[in-house]
Amino acid sequence: MTLLKERYLSVLFMLIFSVASAQEEFTLSGTISDAGSNETLIGASVYIVEVQKAISTNEYGFYSISLPKGTYTIEISYVSFGTIQETVELNQNIRKNYQLSTNTQELNEVVITENQKRANIRTPQMSVNKLTVQEIKKMPVVLGEVDVLKSLLQLPGVTNAGEGASGFNVRGGGADQNLILLDEATIFNSSHLFGFFSVFNSDAIKDIKLYKGGIPARFGGRTSSVLEIYQKEGNSKEFHMNGGIGLISSRVMAEGPISKDRGSFLIAGRASYAHLFLKLANQDNSAYFYDLNTKLSYKLNDNNNLYLSGYFGRDLFEIDDLFSNTYGNTVVNLRWNHLFSDKLFSNFSTIYSDYYYGLELGILDFKWDSGIKNYNFKYDLKHYISNNFKLKYGVNAIYYDFNPGKITPTGSQSSINEEQLEKKYAFEPAIYLEAEHRLSDKITMSYGVRYSMFYRLGAQTMNLYENNQAVNYDPDLKIYEKADPIGTKRYSSGQTIADFNNLEPRATFAYELNNNQSIKASYNRMVQYLNLVSNTSSPTPLDIWTPSGLYIDPQILDQVALGYFRNFSNDKYSLEAETFYKKTKNRIDYIDGADLIANEAIEQVILNGEARAYGLELLLRKNEGKLTGFIAYTLSRSEQRTPGRTPEEVGINNGDWYRTGFDKLHDLSVTASYELNKKWSLGTTFSLQSGRATTYPKGQYTYGDVNIPIYGNRNGDRLPAYHHLDVSATYTPKPEKKKGWQGEWVFSIYNLYNRQNAASMTFRQNEDTGLNESVKTSIFGIVPSVTYNFKF
Amino acid sequence: MKNIKFILLFVTTILFISCEEVVHLDLDTEDPKLVIDASINWVKGTAGNEQVIKLTTSAGYYESTVPTVSDATVFIVNNDNGAVFNFVETVPGTGAYICNTFEPIIGNNYELTVIYDGETYTATEKMYPVPNIENITQDDESGFDGESMEIEVFFQDDPTTENYYLSRFDTDIYPYPEYTALDDEFNNGNLVSVLYIDEDLKAGDVVDIRLAGISRRYYNYMELVVTIVEGGAGSGPFQTTPAAIRGNFINQTNANNYPYGYFNISEVDYTQYTIQ
Repeated sequence: MTLLKERYLSVLFMLIFSVASAQEEFTLSGTISDAGSNETLIGASVYIVEVQKAISTNEYGFYSISLPKGTYTIEISYVSFGTIQETVELNQNIRKNYQLSTNTQELNEVVITENQKRANIRTPQMSVNKLTVQEIKKMPVVLGEVDVLKSLLQLPGVTNAGEGASGFNVRGGGADQNLILLDEATIFNSSHLFGFFSVFNSDAIKDIKLYKGGIPARFGGRTSSVLEIYQKEGNSKEFHMNGGIGLISSRVMAEGPISKDRGSFLIAGRASYAHLFLKLANQDNSAYFYDLNTKLSYKLNDNNNLYLSGYFGRDLFEIDDLFSNTYGNTVVNLRWNHLFSDKLFSNFSTIYSDYYYGLELGILDFKWDSGIKNYNFKYDLKHYISNNFKLKYGVNAIYYDFNPGKITPTGSQSSINEEQLEKKYAFEPAIYLEAEHRLSDKITMSYGVRYSMFYRLGAQTMNLYENNQAVNYDPDLKIYEKADPIGTKRYSSGQTIADFNNLEPRATFAYELNNNQSIKASYNRMVQYLNLVSNTSSPTPLDIWTPSGLYIDPQILDQVALGYFRNFSNDKYSLEAETFYKKTKNRIDYIDGADLIANEAIEQVILNGEARAYGLELLLRKNEGKLTGFIAYTLSRSEQRTPGRTPEEVGINNGDWYRTGFDKLHDLSVTASYELNKKWSLGTTFSLQSGRATTYPKGQYTYGDVNIPIYGNRNGDRLPAYHHLDVSATYTPKPEKKKGWQGEWVFSIYNLYNRQNAASMTFRQNEDTGLNESVKTSIFGIVPSVTYNFKF
Repeated sequence: MKNIKFILLFVTTILFISCEEVVHLDLDTEDPKLVIDASINWVKGTAGNEQVIKLTTSAGYYESTVPTVSDATVFIVNNDNGAVFNFVETVPGTGAYICNTFEPIIGNNYELTVIYDGETYTATEKMYPVPNIENITQDDESGFDGESMEIEVFFQDDPTTENYYLSRFDTDIYPYPEYTALDDEFNNGNLVSVLYIDEDLKAGDVVDIRLAGISRRYYNYMELVVTIVEGGAGSGPFQTTPAAIRGNFINQTNANNYPYGYFNISEVDYTQYTIQ
C-alpha cells in the first residue's frame, strides 16, 4: 500500500515538475495551410531541429510549441507537400502561419500510407488508421466509386460482413459500435444502397482517422471504434471545381472564396443514375441515392474562426406502386474556434443530426416512418501547457429523440390501424480530461478520463414485469418466451426513467527503444448507451436504435492493446504489430424467433450477454519508390455468449461462446501501386479472408408436409474462403498541366478472376422436386468500370 | 409485422446483382431423433372424428425421405372431460397413427402421449376456434415484377380477444405448402387478410386454402418454422441466424432427448379457390 502510494506521489510529482519547468519560455503558434487553397492541414508536422522536438497540427490546423528563448530552425512538412525550413528567433511569443505547396501537382498521389508515411514511433497513440483522400483514390474499387469505408477494410483489424454489407467491423466489434463523426456530428447510417457505397463523398473530405484502440477520452458513446472524418473548408483563394463521371454515379464539387483569404464555401453533390436505365427499359422500379455536402468557413480574425457544415443524403427505392423506401442522414453543424491565448485553443460546436427511415408498402396499404434525432453541444479546449505536457478537456451534452415507428394506413382498404409506437427520449452529458505527457526522452504517455452520464427520460409509459423479468423461461420446454406485463408505469415529460453514470479511464504508453523502434501499450474503457436492435449479420437501414433504460443496461468495454513499431532501411519500410484483447459487458442477444420490427416491448425478446474479441494485427509498408503499398494481416476471433440467468436456464446456444456473424479468423490484404510513368499509374489490391461464420444444418425432419432443416450450434460453420483480386490503371493525358482543365481516366476491374464469393448459404426445398438443396448466393462477379475525373 | 422485414430483405436481395448456385456441402448429421407431427384439425362442417398423427425420425439433410416410426403407443386425453382417444398405425410401416372416434370441443384442453422405445413424450394444447373465410379476391398484376398472381383471403378478427392464426396454401405447382402465421397486434378487430403471391399461378389452377385458429405458443413455433423454411429470412449479409426449433413436447423419461414436432389442435376453415 505504501509502495503504491509512493509511486502515485512520484507520478504526481513528475507531473507538477514538468508543468513547473515550463518557465522562461516563449510560445510559437499558428496555423498551417495549403498555399493553393488556404485549406488548413490536419496533422502537419512542426519540427524544431535544435531540440529534436516535433508536434502536429490539430483538427483545425493549429499548432503551438513553447521553447526557451533562443534561435531555432523550424521544419514544416506534410505528406505530398513540400517542406519549409525557416529560422525563428524566439524572444517573445510569436504567432506564425505557414503555407505549404504541393510538390506533386498531379490529381492523385501514388502512395497509400499513413499521413506521416513512417510508423509513428514517438507519440503515445496506437491502433490508429489514417488515410488521406489522395491515398484512397488510388485503390481499385467496385464500380469505380472511390469509397472511404471500403478503403479502410484493407487495413488490419477492419472487416465487414461481406460484399454488399453495410457498415464495418473493427477488431471484432459490431457495426453499431462504431462512432462515425462527420465534422464532429454523429452519422447513424454510413451506407448507401445497402452497403454498395459509403455516405462519404471523397471530394468533400479532407481527413480520415480511425481509432481502433487507445481511444482518447474526448470520444465516447460507442465501444468499438471512432471514425473521425473532416470535410474540406473550401478554397478561399480561387474558385475551383472538380468532379467525376462514372457508370453508376457522378459527383461534382465547387469551392471558392466568399471573401478573399477570409471566407470560403464548398458544395459537393453526388448522385447515382443507374435507375434511369431501368426507366429506359420500361421498368417502373428504381433504386438510387444522392447526397449533398456543404461547408462555409469564415475567419473573423486571427483568434476566431467560424464553420458551418451540412450534409444531406437519401436513398430511394421504388418498386412499382407496391413499395417505396426512403432513408438517410441529415447533419447541420456550427462551430466556433477561439484562441484564448497562444497556448489555449478552444472549439464550441452545436450539432444537429438525424436519421430518417420511411417505408410505404402499397401492397399492404400502410406507411411506416421511424428515425432518430439528436442535438449535441460540445465545448473542447486544448491547452499547450508546455512541450512536455498538454491538456485537453471539455464537456459534451447530447439530447436524443427516438421515433421507433409510426404506422399510418394508406387508402380506405387498409386493414391496418394507425399507431404511433411510443417515442423515447434520452440525455447523455459527459466531461473529460486528457493529458499528453512526456515523462522522459524515452517515455511518453497520454492518459485521461471521461465521466459519462445517461438519463432515459419521459414522457413514456413503461411496462412492469413480475420479478422485473421481461423474458420468461419455460423450464419444461427449455425455451424463452415473452413475459406478459403485470402493469405499466407512466413517466411524465422530462422525468427520469433510468439513469447511469460511468467513469471511463483511458491510457496509452509509448516507450522509445531507439530512433526507429518503440513499444506501446494502451488501455481504454468505453461505454455505449445506445443499442442497435438488429439480428442480421450486418445492419439493415430499417434497424432501430434504442436507448438503455429499465431493461437494457449500457454496454461497457475494456480493451488492452500492445504494439511494436519499427522503421527500417532508412524509413523505406515500416512495420506495425499489435495485439489486442477486448471484452464487452451487456451485449444483448435475441431469443429465438424474436420479432424486432415494430416491437413496442423490445425488452421481451432480449437477453443480456457478453462479447469478447482478441487478435493480432500486422502491417508492413513500403513507403518510398515507384512501388509503394502494404501488406496487412489480421488473425482474430470475435465471440459472444449469453448464459442463462439462473443455473437452470440454458441461455442462448446452451450458454456457450459462439462466433459472431462477422467473425473472420484470417484476413490478409495486399495493396500496391506502381508509378509506371508520368501518364500512367497502376494499382492493385488482393484480399483473402476466412469465410464469415454461419450456421449449417446437421439434419432435417418433416413436419406439416414441409422439410425443416435442423440447425447446429450457432455460427459453428464457415462460408467458403473469400478472396478477390482488383486492379486499376489511372491515365493522366497531360500530367504537366497545372492550370485550367485537368482530367484523368481511371479504369478498374473488380474481382479480376471472377470469383463467385459466397455472401450466404441458403437451405431450402427445391420448388419442383421438393428435395432439400443448399444454395450459394454471391453478389459480385467480375466488374469492370471506367471513371473520368476532372478539375479546373 | 415480420413480413415487412421479409419483404425488405427480399428487395435488398433482388437489388444486388446477385447470383444463385446450387452447391453440395459436406454436412454433419446428428443422431436421429423422434419427430411427432400431430396437428388435429377440425374442419368446419365435418364431424372431426378422423384424425392422423405421423411419427418419423430426423435424417441427414440431403436424404430424400425420412424413416417412419412403428410400434409406438399414441393417445390423446381430453383433460376437461377425461375422454381418451387411441391412435393406431393401421397400415404397418407408414408411421401414420389413425383415430376414427375423435371428439373435438373448442376451448377444451387436450394432452397427447406418445410412448416409444421405452420413453414417454407428452404435450398439452388448447383447442382454438377460427372465423369463417369471408371473401377471396384476385389480382393478376401483383408482386415485385407486376406480373405475379395474388390471392387475398379475408376474415373478421374478434376484437375482444388476442388472436393468432395460421394459414396454409396448397397448389399443384409446388410439392410443399406455404404457411403464414398471423397475429392481430396491428389490426385488432378489423377485417384481416392474408396474401398468397406466386408468379407461376395461372387461370385454372386450384388453390387449397386453410385457416386455423392457434395458440400464441404455436404461433411462435410456426413463425420460426416459416423463417427457417424460407431459408433463414433474407440472404447475403442481411441473413438472420437460424436456430434449432423446440416444439411443445416433453420427454418424461429423459428430458434431454426432446423430440421435434408440435402437438396442435385447431378449428380450421377450408375452401378451394380456382384462379380466374
